[in-house]
Amino acid sequence: MPPSTDLLQGTLDLLILQTLALGPMHGWGVAQRIQQVSKDVLQIGQGSLYPALHRLEYKGWIQADWGNSENNRRAKFYSLTATGRRQLEAELDTWERLSSAIGLVLSRVPEASA
Amino acid sequence: MIDELLTRLRFFFSRRKPADLDDELQFHVEQATAANIAAGMAPDEARRRALIDFGGMERAREQSFEQRPGWWLGTVAQDVRYALRGFRRNPVFTITVIATLALGIGATTAVFSVVDRILFRSLPYAHDDRLVSFGLVQSLEKQEFTLGGFFYEWRDNQRPFESVTFEHGTSECNLSEANPVHLQCAEVAQNFLPTLGITPILGRNFVPEEDLPNGPKVAMISDGLWLSRFNRDPGVLNKAIMIDDHAVRIVGVLPGDFEMPRLQAADIVRPAAFDVAAQHTVNSGIGWPMWAFARLKPGVTVQEAKAEMEPLFLHTQQWIPAQFRNEFKLEVRSMRDRQMQEAYTAAWILLGAVFAVLLIACANVASLFSARGAARERELAVRSALGASRGRLIRQTLTEAFLLAVAGAALGCALAEILLRVFIAIAPTGVPFLADARLDLRIVLFTVLVSLLCAALFGILPALEKPRATALIGRLAKSGTHARLRSLLVVAQIAICMVLLSGASLLVKSFWNLEQQNLGMQTRDVLTLHVPLNWERYPSGQAYMSFYLRVEAALRRLPGVTAVGMTNSLPPDANSWHGGRRLADIFVSGKQQFAPGIGGTVVARMVTPDYFRVLQIPIVQGQGFTEEERSSSGDFIILSKLLGARLFPQGDAIGQHMQFANYNPYFVLDGPVFTVVGVAADVKNAGLAGEVEPEYYELRNNHHPGNWDQHHIFLLESSLPVSVVTPWIRSQIAQLEPTAPAEIGVLSQDVHKLADRPRFETALLGFFALCGLAMAVIGLYGVIAFVAAQRTQEIGVRMALGATRLDILRLIAGEGVRLIVLGGVVGLGAALIFARLLKSLLYNVGPHDPAIYALVALLLALVALAATLIPARAAMKVEPVEALRYE
Repeated sequence: MPPSTDLLQGTLDLLILQTLALGPMHGWGVAQRIQQVSKDVLQIGQGSLYPALHRLEYKGWIQADWGNSENNRRAKFYSLTATGRRQLEAELDTWERLSSAIGLVLSRVPEASA
Repeated sequence: MIDELLTRLRFFFSRRKPADLDDELQFHVEQATAANIAAGMAPDEARRRALIDFGGMERAREQSFEQRPGWWLGTVAQDVRYALRGFRRNPVFTITVIATLALGIGATTAVFSVVDRILFRSLPYAHDDRLVSFGLVQSLEKQEFTLGGFFYEWRDNQRPFESVTFEHGTSECNLSEANPVHLQCAEVAQNFLPTLGITPILGRNFVPEEDLPNGPKVAMISDGLWLSRFNRDPGVLNKAIMIDDHAVRIVGVLPGDFEMPRLQAADIVRPAAFDVAAQHTVNSGIGWPMWAFARLKPGVTVQEAKAEMEPLFLHTQQWIPAQFRNEFKLEVRSMRDRQMQEAYTAAWILLGAVFAVLLIACANVASLFSARGAARERELAVRSALGASRGRLIRQTLTEAFLLAVAGAALGCALAEILLRVFIAIAPTGVPFLADARLDLRIVLFTVLVSLLCAALFGILPALEKPRATALIGRLAKSGTHARLRSLLVVAQIAICMVLLSGASLLVKSFWNLEQQNLGMQTRDVLTLHVPLNWERYPSGQAYMSFYLRVEAALRRLPGVTAVGMTNSLPPDANSWHGGRRLADIFVSGKQQFAPGIGGTVVARMVTPDYFRVLQIPIVQGQGFTEEERSSSGDFIILSKLLGARLFPQGDAIGQHMQFANYNPYFVLDGPVFTVVGVAADVKNAGLAGEVEPEYYELRNNHHPGNWDQHHIFLLESSLPVSVVTPWIRSQIAQLEPTAPAEIGVLSQDVHKLADRPRFETALLGFFALCGLAMAVIGLYGVIAFVAAQRTQEIGVRMALGATRLDILRLIAGEGVRLIVLGGVVGLGAALIFARLLKSLLYNVGPHDPAIYALVALLLALVALAATLIPARAAMKVEPVEALRYE
């Protein structure tokens, strides 16, 4: 298995929120989803996934309900709350500003040295 | 934001089942297994891979738990439970620490609350830091005062002050309506209240017209009088009351915390209504006496103000008669200094004692915690090996310290409240503002914080170092690291204790001397009677004389009364009113006896013949006054032995003629010529602790009625009990003067009251010294007991190798003796230095009295030795076999 890319502090929360924006999902689903969408680049360690999910739940950004999974097994489904949705928008904003700023810095370096 | 908080709160209160989390994680693993099977793995292999991929299941579970709000609090609760279990297992440690803290916190808080009122209280005036008292001082009056002739000159030309005011003193006055009351009336300048920054709670301040001679008669009444006489009726404004038979209109009510700057009692405040121009003619041209106060301009210091006033003073000094012009000095000092006077030294010493006790308490707590820490090194190592983080270990220690500090503080507060009540109960009336001392929460907080800090600091030390691995395997906890620190703490405690004890003993000895001294007169069962008369009803000395002579005759007729003396003042109180002269004013046969300017003073009293009989003051030479001399035309005088020896070293005083200089305001020698008829033994006349001053007694005779005034005290010798005679005296006075309330006292009680302050100081310091001793002994005991327990195995080995029990005793006790000797020596040195501060409070005992120090050292050594011997004896009795198997 290729070593997973270290996630920036706080990015995991953003990824989880973004994933749950599509609809309610259980922990396994969230991990699979992120892995698929990122084409296996981002592999979420289960050791950090569940603490993160619980943390978000305690913050009130997501809520958990017990339901039945595809294979009819009892599972805990997470969904975004209204607060979570607002938080997601705010974090996306921040992320975009941050990544474009980093992009600017990184793209200027070769020009300067050229 | 609010949403988030509410969600957290909801989760905080709703407990979750851990099973939920297990289910969730289990589901995850099953999904992963199913995915692996779908990818073609065998079921067993698929499950194995899924578990490996997941990583530490337990860790994920714990970390998820830690996200829970309040999880942190849960660990605190854990710490608390753990700490409480520890305390239960080790009750001696717990009780000692709590008792030490309670004593330290209680004593410190109580005394600080008392001292705070004396030293740091805010005066009931706005911006009291800018208020000063200023005036003249001289050998006969060391408290600054001023005179009308000077005051207005200063007031009009001064620069350093924003505003200048004065009070003319207080005098007795009577509310002469139905139910007459004896009151104190103060006379002040019109701007007195505004300058001090006092606003009436009802009505208004005086207006300038009311401060003019013959202006409208108005007054302000105190809050106390408003309550007692008028039941706080707001309609009292503009009401006329009769003061000494004059109608006076009430214009305002003073605030409840009002006090005169010199702290005299005042029920009524009236404008002085001085004629400014007359101040250069009245009272022999120097003006009426007054006490001046001023508010400094912002930014001006007291020293600067004094420097600025100096030229003005030099200018006005020329009006003082040349003979003693140089004796007068200018004094400018802060209001607080003026009020506190001698209370300062005592308060600072108490404060010092408080901090000494607090230091001992802290050292005790520190050494106890340090000892406990060392004993728990192994436990800490085990907990650390089991995964407790360093932070968690430190937090655990802090929790323990905090719990003990809280318990100690709670007990300490209760103790402080009790102590404070005791202090107030035993305190003399002379200690200002003590009666309204309250427990100060800031002080409680401060002392709790200090002791918490001590406990935390020394508790944390062992937790800070990473527990050594050897501590896990070592059979015996070695704790050399903090042993030195603990020994140092014990030495410090003993040293501080030595200082406290010797200070207290010096005060006790001094107090003993004060109480046991021979006053030179009889005070037991001597009744004193004072009849405050309304001076307006007695317009002349003649009127006073006839009243007092009638009272004297009436008292003499009472059954059981064997002698009635009269005097204008009473020894031994130096602060109560009494006459005085300069030594330089005495002329024997027309010749001055002492060079002017040496400043020596003589106490003067005017008495009747029975004064000596009632007080049993022996006449050592010549004879006493006789009743015939009272009505004869001669003037007679009796000298005290001390004055006799000064004036007539040859011992030929009897029959000599003397005169006193008068200043009107210039020197004249026109007074009566006195004939010396006798020399009386010396009597304590300058306070209980003061050096006896030379004194003379003038015979109060009937041909100088002008000499008779309000200052009149009757002394009665009676063969019947005081309680029987008192009502008779009252009824006699009521018949002769119904408007004047008779004040009756017993001289010995008045004298007893004079010793109230030293008694109070001695009791407080003694209490501290004992507290300190108790704590130091506890500390010493704790350390020695700990050392003995630590060395149990070593003792076993030694005994197995042939050491006798005596050797063991010597080994353990030797450690204690070393600490005691070291602490004692250091303490003795410090005590000798600090004792100098006590000097002004001591009477007839030097600050370095060897007997006291020897006694204190002996006492401390004995008590400390006992504290050492108890654990040492226990160590001696250890069975060698048991000791070897120890652990």
